[in-house]
Amino acid sequence: MTEPVISFDDLSVSFPTDDGMVRAVRNVSFDVEPGEVMAVVGESGSGKSVTALAAMRLHPGSTEITGEVRFGGRDLLGIGEKEMRRVRGNGIAMIFQDPMTALNPVMKVGAQIAEMVLTHDDVSKKEAWTRAADLLESVGVPEPGRRVKQYPHEFSGGMRQRAMIAMAIANGPDLLIADEPTTALDVTIQAQVLEVMKTAQEATGAAILLITHDLGVVAGIADRVVVMYGGRVFESGSADQVFYRSQNPYTRGLMSSIPRLDAPKGERLIPIPGTPPNVLNPPSGCAFGPRCAFASDGCHEAHAELMSVGFDGTHRSRCHKLAELPDLFAAAETR
Amino acid sequence: MFAYAARRILATIPLLIVATLGLFALESSVRDPVAELRVSCPQCDQIAFDRLIDLYDLDKPVLDLSNPGGSRYIAWLGNVATGDFGNSTSQGDNPVSDTVFTRAKNTMILAVPAFFVIASLATFLGVYSAVHQYSKTDYTITGLSFLGIAMPTFFFGLLLQVFWGIWFHDWFGMRPFFTTQMHDDNFVDLLKSITLPIVTLALVVVATESRFIRASMLDVIHSDYIRTARAKGLSERKVIFKHALRNAMIPVVTIWALDFSALLGGSVVTESIFSWPGLGPLLISSIFAADVNMVMAIILLISVLAIGFNLIADLLYGVLDPRIRIS
Ligand SMILES: Nc1ncnc2c1ncn2[C@@H]1O[C@H](COP(=O)(O)OP(=O)(O)O)[C@@H](O)[C@H]1O
Ligand code: SF4
Ligand SMILES: [Mg+2]
Repeated sequence: MTEPVISFDDLSVSFPTDDGMVRAVRNVSFDVEPGEVMAVVGESGSGKSVTALAAMRLHPGSTEITGEVRFGGRDLLGIGEKEMRRVRGNGIAMIFQDPMTALNPVMKVGAQIAEMVLTHDDVSKKEAWTRAADLLESVGVPEPGRRVKQYPHEFSGGMRQRAMIAMAIANGPDLLIADEPTTALDVTIQAQVLEVMKTAQEATGAAILLITHDLGVVAGIADRVVVMYGGRVFESGSADQVFYRSQNPYTRGLMSSIPRLDAPKGERLIPIPGTPPNVLNPPSGCAFGPRCAFASDGCHEAHAELMSVGFDGTHRSRCHKLAELPDLFAAAETR
Repeated sequence: MFAYAARRILATIPLLIVATLGLFALESSVRDPVAELRVSCPQCDQIAFDRLIDLYDLDKPVLDLSNPGGSRYIAWLGNVATGDFGNSTSQGDNPVSDTVFTRAKNTMILAVPAFFVIASLATFLGVYSAVHQYSKTDYTITGLSFLGIAMPTFFFGLLLQVFWGIWFHDWFGMRPFFTTQMHDDNFVDLLKSITLPIVTLALVVVATESRFIRASMLDVIHSDYIRTARAKGLSERKVIFKHALRNAMIPVVTIWALDFSALLGGSVVTESIFSWPGLGPLLISSIFAADVNMVMAIILLISVLAIGFNLIADLLYGVLDPRIRIS
């Protein structure tokens, strides 16, 4: 087995606020293997972004973090700020949700990409700009020579996200974190941008940590999936395991709330009832308990541990009723 | 850009006309020179009154639309258009423009350095406060700003005079008043005269501007593109000075333009307290002396300054913000 690109090990992130401690991420552990696409899914507020930002150490100063984020043979949470800066944009690059606001409005797009190159590579300014144009071309921005001299507001949303991707792959990172990269885009553009990410990944060999609340985005592109809820991992495994052989009520709830092309005719979309847990005052026991159709008294007393559900240890789920789930799901299906 | 500037300037002309007309009417209605002459000079006869009436066209209305040529305001406007602002009645019989020019120059000696002190200090304090939000220094700067905003200018000026001009005069030799002739002063003398008034002028403006810059900077620091800049691996210094500052300063340009034009228009309180022969005291004394020509010239200057600097701010806005430049 090769070394994972990045390992989250028992990561917990809490924000002290005026109203109390927000425990946004709780004991999260998972790895990303080189060159794979790992998706992190879950409703908004599940702690996906906070997990990613912890890897980049971009959280506010007062944040309390425990656990480890291992990358390149060291714990990123333990290294100095200067060393961390060499990781940002170089070892790990990030693509953010809203391309309309993620680029500096008063800097030319080329300058912003060239800056990424210059920060980590000892090249001339001229060469960095040439690289910027080449990068734009590689992500499918037409007329890159002219486009580098334009400002972000002269780019469409899709083109801006391409520029963000170009910037992210500028230094050939080992890991690309994309936090809801398509959420702010038109549906027609979403597929194109995902395609560009996939191509960029093939060209650079980077692993992708794809964060999204949209399972539709994940379906075609993810190798493995982590499902998060209330700051915890609820299920993890290969895309096949999680999508087709899910062993978790929350994952199933997510799945039946999205439209599927292969769904039998007449199947209705069933949104998960209720809302994600209050972060300041989470429910006792299983965080999904108040919304779970299969919950029983035991679920509200203590939260379940993440358990292996397959034979090879690659598929894991967090639920008190793992043993009964196949029957419960089958019963729900026929109802 | 040029067409835009030209259009903006033309658009302000009606505004200027309405403003000056209103002022002219007010200023000429509050005082009656004939009545005053009658009181101050009981032995004066009708001949003297007639001379006064003739001199200032007091028999003509301020504005008569049916006979514009016979209106005092229109006559004034016509003269102004040819660069003739009339003569003063309170500062000897000199052309108003000469006096205003000299006084404006004096005001500039305070205003220009004051502006640079204000701009740099407010930027420094605002940026520092924002970058160290909720730190002890931030709270201290915030507290002092509110004190500065709340402190009446005349009180602060007097305080400085007593403190640095009298009690601790030996330390730096600050002058509590401007007393000597300006042309006898060397540079150090000048510094000793202008320091206290400049500090007085700066206090309130620094306090308000630094609050504004802090807020603007905080807005920017929490924006997505600053997170992007950090995610690139840039040093905090580059994030703040290369990415945040430029964006945060865009709205500040307007404030600077307004504040600078206000400073150039002269400060009544500060200049009076420090006996500084600038535009502020001149305006006040001219108002009391019913020196219509002088008042009108000063007000016109202040208006033109405000309009001009607003225009400059708008043009700078376009230079700083590419989103405005293109569209
Ligand atoms: N800086 C912060 N201070 C306080 N709470 C925060 C902060 N950042 C995120 N949170 C909270 O942490 C929880 C998880 O947020 P996030 O990771 O952004 O969710 P998502 O899965 O939608 O990306 C949310 O409830 C959010 O309100
Ligand atoms: S532990 Fe209970 S409440 Fe939680 S998902 Fe499983 S069945 Fe539902
Ligand atoms: Mg998020």
